[in-house]
Amino acid sequence: MEVFEHLATGFMAAGSLENLMFCLIGTVLGTLIGVLPGIGPIPALAILLPITFGLDPLSSLIMLAGIYYGAQYGGSTTSILVNMPGEASSVVTCIEGHQMARKGRAGAALAIAALGSFFAGTIGTVFIAAFGPPLASIAQQFNSPDYFALMLLGLVMAIVLAHGSVLKAVAMVLMGLLLGLVGTDINTGLTRYTFSLSGLWEGIDFLPLVLGLFGIVEIIRNLENPPPPRETISTRMRDLWPNKQEFRDSIPAALRGTGLGSILGILPGGGAVLASFASYTLEKKISKNPRKFGHGAVEGVAGPESANNAAAQTSFIPLLTLGIPSNPIMAIMMGAMIIQGIQPGAAVMTTRPDLFWGMVASMWIGNLMLVVINLPMIGIWVKLLSVPYRLLYPAILLFCAIGVYSTSTEPFMMVLMIVFTVFGYVLHKLGCEPAPMVLGFILGPLMEENLRRSLVISRGNPSIFIDRPISATLLVATVLMIGLIVLPQFRKTREEAFQEE
Amino acid sequence: MVIKSPQDFGAGILFILFGAIGLFVGSDLTFGSARNMGPGYFPMIICGLIALIGVIVTVKSLAIEGPAIERIQFRPIIFILLAIAAFGLLIAQIGAVISSILLIMFAAYARRGVNLVETVIFAVTTAALVVIIFVYGLGQPMPVWWGR
Repeated sequence: MEVFEHLATGFMAAGSLENLMFCLIGTVLGTLIGVLPGIGPIPALAILLPITFGLDPLSSLIMLAGIYYGAQYGGSTTSILVNMPGEASSVVTCIEGHQMARKGRAGAALAIAALGSFFAGTIGTVFIAAFGPPLASIAQQFNSPDYFALMLLGLVMAIVLAHGSVLKAVAMVLMGLLLGLVGTDINTGLTRYTFSLSGLWEGIDFLPLVLGLFGIVEIIRNLENPPPPRETISTRMRDLWPNKQEFRDSIPAALRGTGLGSILGILPGGGAVLASFASYTLEKKISKNPRKFGHGAVEGVAGPESANNAAAQTSFIPLLTLGIPSNPIMAIMMGAMIIQGIQPGAAVMTTRPDLFWGMVASMWIGNLMLVVINLPMIGIWVKLLSVPYRLLYPAILLFCAIGVYSTSTEPFMMVLMIVFTVFGYVLHKLGCEPAPMVLGFILGPLMEENLRRSLVISRGNPSIFIDRPISATLLVATVLMIGLIVLPQFRKTREEAFQEE
Repeated sequence: MVIKSPQDFGAGILFILFGAIGLFVGSDLTFGSARNMGPGYFPMIICGLIALIGVIVTVKSLAIEGPAIERIQFRPIIFILLAIAAFGLLIAQIGAVISSILLIMFAAYARRGVNLVETVIFAVTTAALVVIIFVYGLGQPMPVWWGR
């Protein structure tokens, strides 16, 4: 079996002592930041991004992936114990998990979340190993119009899944696209939107942008509206083991969640958020006893937690095979890869198999580490929740500033970070969610280039997008999604889904 | 004219401004044609769309009730920005230790009711940790003190 050969290559690369160490550091740091109330994977990745820059590409990707899972898992811990979701994908864990915690089953909820995530992570890894190469060969048939259509679909999906107003989300994506175009136009060598600032010639730097928009604005928001003190539920080690009934209920839910999550993760726009909502809805629908939901149904923890982890894994597939990030988190991953000098895409698999398979293998290793770090050491993470915010936030801020300074000693980078902090703050006050903007920012130059190439091939005839079967299919899907947004019935469901926060 | 949704009104105006500035600044870029896209083609279309959405959002905000803009609190944002600026603009001159202490001190004053003694101790400890971890541990090229 070729798959196992590949995986063996990967485990060889990821299993080196050094890489194991970076994987461990990544998962620990990710959990550390993710556990902090209100900080989800996006700010966590943004804050920790700079420390991975000095490493070699494989180690840095391994560490980033570790940070991502760690942050996601840390978020679940906070959801269950403090009833405070770090981000949208742990909202549903909050609903059932915290109810379980209040009934004295916090340990069981944490254990099920960890084991479900680990199981889903394992399947997700196999999924990538099995479907990565065939998808990469499909990707080789992709031409400019197909790429353009795929990116369009991804952006529309990001709009569907963003919080709040659809129109504002569209504007966010468009502003992101425009910000992505700042700098030297690769075709003509002319500078665009640089306002005669030499610091913008190579485009807006990714790090000050994400740190300003997500990391620092988050701090300011918390300072303006200090989160109300909530009861933290303590757990003891011996309460960790779920009872028989809980096991029996959660195994099928975890299986369904894993399947659903693996598939939803691959889709453009898919990812952890979509997967956990979908899985929760599914569990509620098929349950024999739907009234249990909202009162600590263990299926409502096992399903979504497995689903979001599976999707977190498989959403790497479009990034690694097509070179297109399907959601804002993957956009940050792609930004990090580009900084490392790797252009994600099908070519990575053939030119740097150690990199591709090493990263896949490290995902499994990282998931294993998470179970090990999280379950026995849960007490330490809970302690962390009691570190006062007045000490935490200056330290996080210092960390962001050092991060930017260590990648570039130009004072201009700090100015950029300040500009994006102010911009993010204004957006927050006006009820605009900036996550779709990052996706637009990363996709901007790619979309322009593929649109240009498509129209050069067709001599300016836009019908090229419907003549090619791949792009036609993707465009039909895009139109269907737009149709969905406009439908009043769907709008209502979407609003309700986000209301639960 | 009554603004029924201040948040959306503000957002609409922001989009219009953003789009308009984009159109204005980009106006000297060659637009080209679909067959031969100039450097202005894609950005101009995007700016136009942003401004268009801005107009729609603004008009809607006059007709449909929506949330008010949350009051801006100046203290947090000003002190946080001062903290970053002090660190970023001074580190090259005064070194990591003092600029880290400055950042922590400024940041601490983003809240009311600061305990000065605690903050100073915390700032000094953190600055020491920064030097140990980043300069000696990770070998980051950062000046520790001034005059180097």
